[in-house]
Amino acid sequence: MISPTSPDDLLALADSILERVGRDGAEVTVVHHEEALTRFARNQIHQNVAESSRRIRLRLMGDKQVGVAEIRGEVDDLQGRLIAAAEAARELAPDGEVTPLPRPDAGPDGPVAHSPATAACTPEWRAGQVGTVAAVSGVAGFEAFGALQTSLTQTAIANSQGVRRHAATTAASLICVARGENGWGYADRHHHDIRRLDAEQVAQEAVETCGRNQQATALDPGVYPVVLSPCAVADLVGHLADLGFSALAHQEHRSFMRPGERLMSQLVSIADDAGHPDAMPFPFDDEGVSTRGVSCIEEGVCRSFLHDSATALREDVPSTGHALPMPNTFGPCARHLVVASGESSIDDLIAACDHGLYVTRFWYVRDVHPLRTVITGMTRDGTFLIENGRLGRPVRDLRFTQSIVDALSDVRGVGRERSIELDESERALLVPALALGSFTFTS
Amino acid sequence: MREIADLAIDVAVSSGATYADCRVVQRGIQAMTVKDGRFAEVSSFEDEGMGIRAIVDGAWGFASVDRLDSDSLRDAARLACRIARASARLRRQPVRLASAPVATGEYVTPMERDPFEVSLEEKMDLLIRTDEAMAAVAGVTTHEASLEFVREHRLFASSEGSLVDQVIVESGGGLDATATSDDDVQTRSFPNSFGRHQLCAGYEAIAAMDLAGNASRIASEAVALLSAPPCPTGRMTLILDGTQAALQVHESCGHPVELDRVRGDEAAYAGTSFLTPDLLGRFRYGSEQVTITADATTPGGLGTFGWDDEGVAAQRTVLVDRGVFRGYMSSRETAAEYGWTSTGAMRAESWNRIPLIRMTNVNLEPGDSSLEEMIAGTEHGVYLETNRSWSIDDRRLNFQFGTQNGWEIRDGKRLRLVKNALYAGRTPEFWRSCDAVAGPSEWRPWGVVNCGKGQPAQVIHVGHGAAPCRFRHASVTAAS
Repeated sequence: MISPTSPDDLLALADSILERVGRDGAEVTVVHHEEALTRFARNQIHQNVAESSRRIRLRLMGDKQVGVAEIRGEVDDLQGRLIAAAEAARELAPDGEVTPLPRPDAGPDGPVAHSPATAACTPEWRAGQVGTVAAVSGVAGFEAFGALQTSLTQTAIANSQGVRRHAATTAASLICVARGENGWGYADRHHHDIRRLDAEQVAQEAVETCGRNQQATALDPGVYPVVLSPCAVADLVGHLADLGFSALAHQEHRSFMRPGERLMSQLVSIADDAGHPDAMPFPFDDEGVSTRGVSCIEEGVCRSFLHDSATALREDVPSTGHALPMPNTFGPCARHLVVASGESSIDDLIAACDHGLYVTRFWYVRDVHPLRTVITGMTRDGTFLIENGRLGRPVRDLRFTQSIVDALSDVRGVGRERSIELDESERALLVPALALGSFTFTS
Repeated sequence: MREIADLAIDVAVSSGATYADCRVVQRGIQAMTVKDGRFAEVSSFEDEGMGIRAIVDGAWGFASVDRLDSDSLRDAARLACRIARASARLRRQPVRLASAPVATGEYVTPMERDPFEVSLEEKMDLLIRTDEAMAAVAGVTTHEASLEFVREHRLFASSEGSLVDQVIVESGGGLDATATSDDDVQTRSFPNSFGRHQLCAGYEAIAAMDLAGNASRIASEAVALLSAPPCPTGRMTLILDGTQAALQVHESCGHPVELDRVRGDEAAYAGTSFLTPDLLGRFRYGSEQVTITADATTPGGLGTFGWDDEGVAAQRTVLVDRGVFRGYMSSRETAAEYGWTSTGAMRAESWNRIPLIRMTNVNLEPGDSSLEEMIAGTEHGVYLETNRSWSIDDRRLNFQFGTQNGWEIRDGKRLRLVKNALYAGRTPEFWRSCDAVAGPSEWRPWGVVNCGKGQPAQVIHVGHGAAPCRFRHASVTAAS
């Protein structure tokens, strides 16, 4: 992957558009994205792609009107078309509440999750890594399925109030599912540095889970203690954040959060920490506001909400730097969730469970009752009975329907090792394994 | 556009490609939202780029770029070939494509009124009137109305000589009203959930929705749900409205008949399928009432086009015929594996993504009943409207859905409004319990705008023709 531009180039482009707009109330965002993904199935590469694109977004504001235009691609007279479209949108927009653009906050343009090795990754290198996965899988008599993905994203934001931010970030992911005759096993690794993804180790882990997950048998639905892998924990925590950590959800009376009240176990602390070196750090939000660390759940007690400029203005507090592209109706968003680690290994968590289930991965998790944080989903690619403190027989996939808050109110143990996991929206979370006292499986 | 495609394909072929195809796409999106009488956004999005797919040494490579100068196009074509060579290092059998006629021609979405010719003032006036009508309902806490219009000009060309030029136009709109109390939040949407209902059509589709005329009723239902009792629990008769029937078809029939899932191409992410080829022609998927087709020619359908993204002509494929599993949606590559021809279901989100097997319009064909008859013939059951929650396992067997609205039925009559309804089941058992589907007068094309699949992720717009339908002895409960 070769970057045809640099963050400085993008900032210069944003500046030139601002200059051409020539008035207050303007914000320009430029994002250059390079992405490559090698996908494999049945120990062969079956899809292999690369993308290069640049998006430019212009937000123009008046006293009561806002218009937005965005262009991806090198169209003719790009700047002129962008400005004309944004002006037309603004002029015809009805009067409404307009949140002023943020001013510079002197925050640093770092730390940033960036690796030159990831940015330079080639198709041949990716194919070699996939070859390693296929070899490990083949030796075990299994077939491997999955994807190895790398990306480089350069972002620049400038506005007429003087905000000027830029950063370049990389990401790399390897996910692997091994298939035997009668079952599957899953493993993944995610990091900004491709050198931290050990393909052989990932494949071995998937193969081991697959080997253990053959000839699964049915288990009666019911309430069981569970040990959740970090991958499964990421799905719970991601949904919890989307259901209640946003100040907009609180302002619209649809958040489960009750500040100052203990709703969960003292073992549960969840923050959004964009500066954490292991949580794919990134320094600012989509308004160019520095992203501050926010403790949302502290030892089980509801604490603070995430703000963008609009929600902050309503409460006369500073933005925490969690804006999505503005304006929007979704509200602020957690992007760097970090769950506090504990003192146990996964083996310790399993050993402390007399009778329960170990879950490798959840699938198709959806909200059922948002205010009560009830979600539903399936287990997948390795669900095992825990008997007398040991992993036992594999069980067929089960559907759960469970309140996240209720599940996190009975935490029996927290893993000491944390890993970066992606939830379904491909958001990175830094999470440990969790042992929970009760989890409801419905079918 | 044609010169762009010709250049990219020429470079790919001269770089060793035994097959190459190219898509050049220009897309414009206009979106607007009014929320709570105080938030308004109008936005436009323009998108332009080229994607080239090449087979070299028997393996696939794909590269895409948004710079359409000749140097960038050449670089992209060469990169696609380089990627294909890398793929070939881990490929046991060469890619084979089922034969397909060389395609040439043009297609434009039929419409009465081009939505991009309708003034922004007219669109905003509709949204403001809709938002105000919801605001007038006491007890509603947030309310939102939105419109979205898409115009996509895409040109497909291949090294086999195909050249097709299409303009697809979509019009979508919807409203959401939310009511809250100290311990409850209830939302009602219209005409569909997921933000909006969308069709391949002009502005006439928006006019037909009558958003402003339905706003007060829908907002009142959101408020009424706060004090409604929970949905009854147990085995009972279940009637789904057309929107929920559409999603039921989408999840439990549309996805499992994608032939790439059957092969395992999606095994690590979207999953596989319980509908394996050995079941073709003999597996009882549903009752005699259940006939399901994939039809890319459905008028107004959100999956309607002239040719798919491999240049295969739009067509109608029977998937389930009077309950019996009969067919798949396929691509040229997957069809070749079984000695079939493609059913024309390859679609890409845009120029920067490869085409995958995606739903076109997967339709539950109309029956001969009616909602009124179905309710009248129900001793005890529920009628459920508008999706709220949806989940299904990776083989598409074990599902659970929730809806925004429910009506308890007793002795052939709607008894009362109920909330937090959930129903669950296993796909074949559920469809085998279907004993009635409403007729053509209640059958509508519905649009699903959030169908995800593939890595990198692709979200695509698909259609489902559906009408209210009834299921006996379904498992129903309430979220609590």
